[in-house]
Amino acid sequence: MKMTLNINRKEHEVDIKGHETLLEVLRDQLGMTGTKTSCNESECGACTVIIGKKATLSCITLVANVAGEEVTTIEGLAKGEELHPVQQAFLDNGAAQCGFCIPGMIMSCTALLNNNPNPTQEEMEYALDGNICRCTGYLKIFEAIRDAGGRLSEMEAPKESTFYRHTPETVSSKS
Amino acid sequence: MLLNPLTFYAPQSLQEATKLYASLSEARILAGGTFLLNSLKLLKRKGLKTPQNIISLRKVEELKGVKFAGDSLSIGSITVINDLFNSAHLTDNLAILRTVCRNISTNPIRNMATIGGNLTSRYTWTELGAPLIALEAMLNFVGPNGEQEQISVEEFFKNGAKATKILSHVSIRRDKTATVSYYRVKKMSDVDVPLLGVCIKTNFIGDRFSKTRVCINNTITFAQRDSVLEEFLEKSEASKNIPQEALEHLNTAIYDNRSDDYKKAMFRVAIKRALADLIGRKK
Repeated sequence: MKMTLNINRKEHEVDIKGHETLLEVLRDQLGMTGTKTSCNESECGACTVIIGKKATLSCITLVANVAGEEVTTIEGLAKGEELHPVQQAFLDNGAAQCGFCIPGMIMSCTALLNNNPNPTQEEMEYALDGNICRCTGYLKIFEAIRDAGGRLSEMEAPKESTFYRHTPETVSSKS
Repeated sequence: MLLNPLTFYAPQSLQEATKLYASLSEARILAGGTFLLNSLKLLKRKGLKTPQNIISLRKVEELKGVKFAGDSLSIGSITVINDLFNSAHLTDNLAILRTVCRNISTNPIRNMATIGGNLTSRYTWTELGAPLIALEAMLNFVGPNGEQEQISVEEFFKNGAKATKILSHVSIRRDKTATVSYYRVKKMSDVDVPLLGVCIKTNFIGDRFSKTRVCINNTITFAQRDSVLEEFLEKSEASKNIPQEALEHLNTAIYDNRSDDYKKAMFRVAIKRALADLIGRKK
């Protein structure tokens, strides 16, 4: 069946059977491979995307279940060549090593900072306890969140209107 | 594909959902999906049969939200854990639910997993079981013709519920005079997993325990009450010696289901700490 997905402020028509996960459709049909496949059983956080305003695991989300909802993936953060403040903060603070977990980590951080630009250490740990990183030890990641929170707070325009304005635009999928 | 082919239904109302559920064979309810999707993947990997029909409740708005109805808190069955955690209604005896929610799984799971899914999946390690039994919570089910059935969480874990009805909401009476404590032990793997939980509720009358409920989740059997310990506490004064003395008055059959000695010991630690916390907060 045909369905329309709203991903990164664009509408994508996809052809699904009903049993595909959002992760499978993002990667295999839409070519959005920034969202990573890892454990595939909701433990590692590598597949994290934002649905509505919440960090969500795409490996255990049926794509049919997100019809009409706004999905944001790692590909939807930057504006052209300009990185999202969270991405830039990860880069500037050396918060990535192998990088495999980082798209999911950035999505969780972005969801946190969209609601709370000045999180406490406890709030950061709460928001990131579902994203496993085997390289960094998390300290640089926490530094990056604090840095990004500061950048978002300093921005003149409200962050939602800058990065999450909904301007539908239809795009056909590869399939 | 990680899942076997299925037919997906997305009813827009509870009435539509209950009628679908009653009419379809091999149907499973999809709430947050954190149990169900992983279960379906596992069944497929093992080459086992999976349900043909999946009914998603995600679009049924009337099942979402936390609100007061009279003196009872009503938690819609597809309210996610983090929305309950953030609810301003969690005061008095209900405040313990914030602690419970805080400790459930991980943040993206708490963003997806629902109260109803956590309970009705009937996994033995469901963390809401013991606290909701302690709070005397009731489950409200609705059938295909609008018929309603209310059963206690305690009864639900003993006997289950009718498979043709859908959980609409959980109701818990607010009790300004109750004191509640919760102690949980986890084990760490990739993510932390509950090992055991103890929730104790009482209504202190002076220095005495009253209407006490001691609820245990050993994660091997369903959450249940320790009536032996409850009986001992009802006859006792809330003194600083009680947490230690209580260990001589346990229904050991509940705790000793755990095979390892350290887990049996941890139960006793949990009981002591939960009781000490309870007595420490006596007004």
